[in-house]
Amino acid sequence: MSRVIALCFLLLAAVIGFLHIDSRPAWAPFAVNSAALAAQELELEQSAPSKQAKVPSKSSIPNPITTWLPETGAPSVHAASLIALKDGAIRAFWFAGSREGAADVVINSAVFDPKSSSWSAPTVVMDRVSAEKGLSRYIAKLGNPVPARMSDGRLQLFFVTVSIGGWAGSSISSVISDDEGLTWSKPQRLITSPLINLSTLVKSPSIPFADGRLGLPAYHEWIGRFGEFLRIDAGQVIDKRRMSSGRSAIQPLVFVSDAQDATAYFRQTRSASQPKQVPVSQTQNAGQAWRWAEDLPIANPNSAVAGVQLSNGVRILALNNIDAGRYRLVLMMSDAQSTNWQIIDVLEDDSALPDDQRHEFSYPYLITVDGNDAHLVYTWDRKKIRHRYFSGPWIKHVQSQLTSAEPVAPVEEAK
Amino acid sequence: MNDFMQTIALIEMSITCAVVVIWLLQKISSQVFPGITKLITVILIGNLFFWPLGLGMELPLAAYVRGALGDLSIVTLLLLWGSLLPATKPIPLAFKCAIALIALSFYPFALGVGMLDPYAWGYGSIAFFIGVLFFALLCGLFNWAKGVWIVAIAIIAWAAHWHESANLWDYVLDPFLAAWALIAIFAALYQRRKDKARSGYLFRPG
Repeated sequence: MSRVIALCFLLLAAVIGFLHIDSRPAWAPFAVNSAALAAQELELEQSAPSKQAKVPSKSSIPNPITTWLPETGAPSVHAASLIALKDGAIRAFWFAGSREGAADVVINSAVFDPKSSSWSAPTVVMDRVSAEKGLSRYIAKLGNPVPARMSDGRLQLFFVTVSIGGWAGSSISSVISDDEGLTWSKPQRLITSPLINLSTLVKSPSIPFADGRLGLPAYHEWIGRFGEFLRIDAGQVIDKRRMSSGRSAIQPLVFVSDAQDATAYFRQTRSASQPKQVPVSQTQNAGQAWRWAEDLPIANPNSAVAGVQLSNGVRILALNNIDAGRYRLVLMMSDAQSTNWQIIDVLEDDSALPDDQRHEFSYPYLITVDGNDAHLVYTWDRKKIRHRYFSGPWIKHVQSQLTSAEPVAPVEEAK
Repeated sequence: MNDFMQTIALIEMSITCAVVVIWLLQKISSQVFPGITKLITVILIGNLFFWPLGLGMELPLAAYVRGALGDLSIVTLLLLWGSLLPATKPIPLAFKCAIALIALSFYPFALGVGMLDPYAWGYGSIAFFIGVLFFALLCGLFNWAKGVWIVAIAIIAWAAHWHESANLWDYVLDPFLAAWALIAIFAALYQRRKDKARSGYLFRPG
């Protein structure tokens, strides 16, 4: 008799479970800005002479602007990220403390006013104690912050927390702001792994889906080192797909080509015998399935790659294009249709210095505000965060000068 | 909703810690604790884990344990808590074997071997859900009604989004359940071998 009652209860659970599955949203295509696509198509249709005519005169091209994110007094800073605010300003996030992984590390934020080209005073978005009280579990340290714009206009900040061990023991949590980052909700934990939810980190910007949800490129770096594409609905993961496997590629950066196609570039973590180049993975069904593609022939010394796609289809990368070390940081450009990446600016280069005097330039993060310009932040020797602004006219001017179609020879560039 | 979920998770962890303490006490004690003693001890120790104690700690004890272990699956919770109930029918070895087999084939792929990720099935795969229902049916066929109840409750908890996870795997399996199943299988094999050796000694011919 008890067995019959149990089976009846299972039947009830089955009905509830099927209804729950039925209510789950279907996988949506990527959100593609139709205006941007139109601009891209128009650009492709135009002939070379007319393109030249659109290039602004050299005297009217503003040079890139360089600023530093405000100092907090912390000796170690790292992992800066950016998001455009509704009023055209830029909000930056980064972590700062006595050292990376220390208990006193906090996530800071500041706002860049493009009119005055200055940063506001830094504020603390999250510290370890607030995180552990909000999440109702012990947190040992905080890590990478990555902001995103939700479809309802609110800001969401994903950040890494660790309860036990090193970065391999990471999990992702998120907070939401209704007021452009002035105040934040209590944190919520994203569950992404079946093994005590260990080892999922975030570094790169999210991708919006057409249904308003977010696709968040994340990665594992414990038993495996591989990328994963998380489908996020507010504060929870509702699906995920593997972008790579094994122990060779982390920190995926996704470029969306259209509603179905996207390409991910990774930071390589390969063994010494394997090529030190940028691993690539591709999807043709809006991120539901990914497959390995040929490496991008650009050197990568196991360091993060940042990128942004402008409204005319031009893609920009910021990365250390050397085999080892992080003492050289360059800006590269390519159009969406080719993989012909060319260096447009050497941002930092300590190649001429002896090894012990070289600085580290790492963890770049790129965004665009109006679809034509680019804001870049990166860690400057772990002591400061440098910000660079490349205006639309400057990028257009550089683009017009890229006449050579030869692919970049990465190793030669490094020497 | 988030606050409610966090409180529920801390209550669950506090009860779990209390049950583990009672289980350990029972192991070292020569007397079997009566049910009422167990209940009172669960309430007392559970409260000790749930409420912030101060003493330089920023969080309740259960939050520290939760930080290290995460949220346990509903199946683990119910099996563990059910162990305190009087005269419970032993968990069938077949169930332990099935859990161990599933865990051994699940975790390597879920943790990054190859591009196949069985963990992703837990977000809404009909096939996987039918598989879980089939597993519960097998528990019923093996005359273990408790197993049917446990899996059914886990499914309802998943549909109700009881925990932070939206993945059915996190409601039916966790590494501690897998470790328990493996240890129980080895213990059963060892016991069987021991019993066989003893019977062989007693009934050795001539």
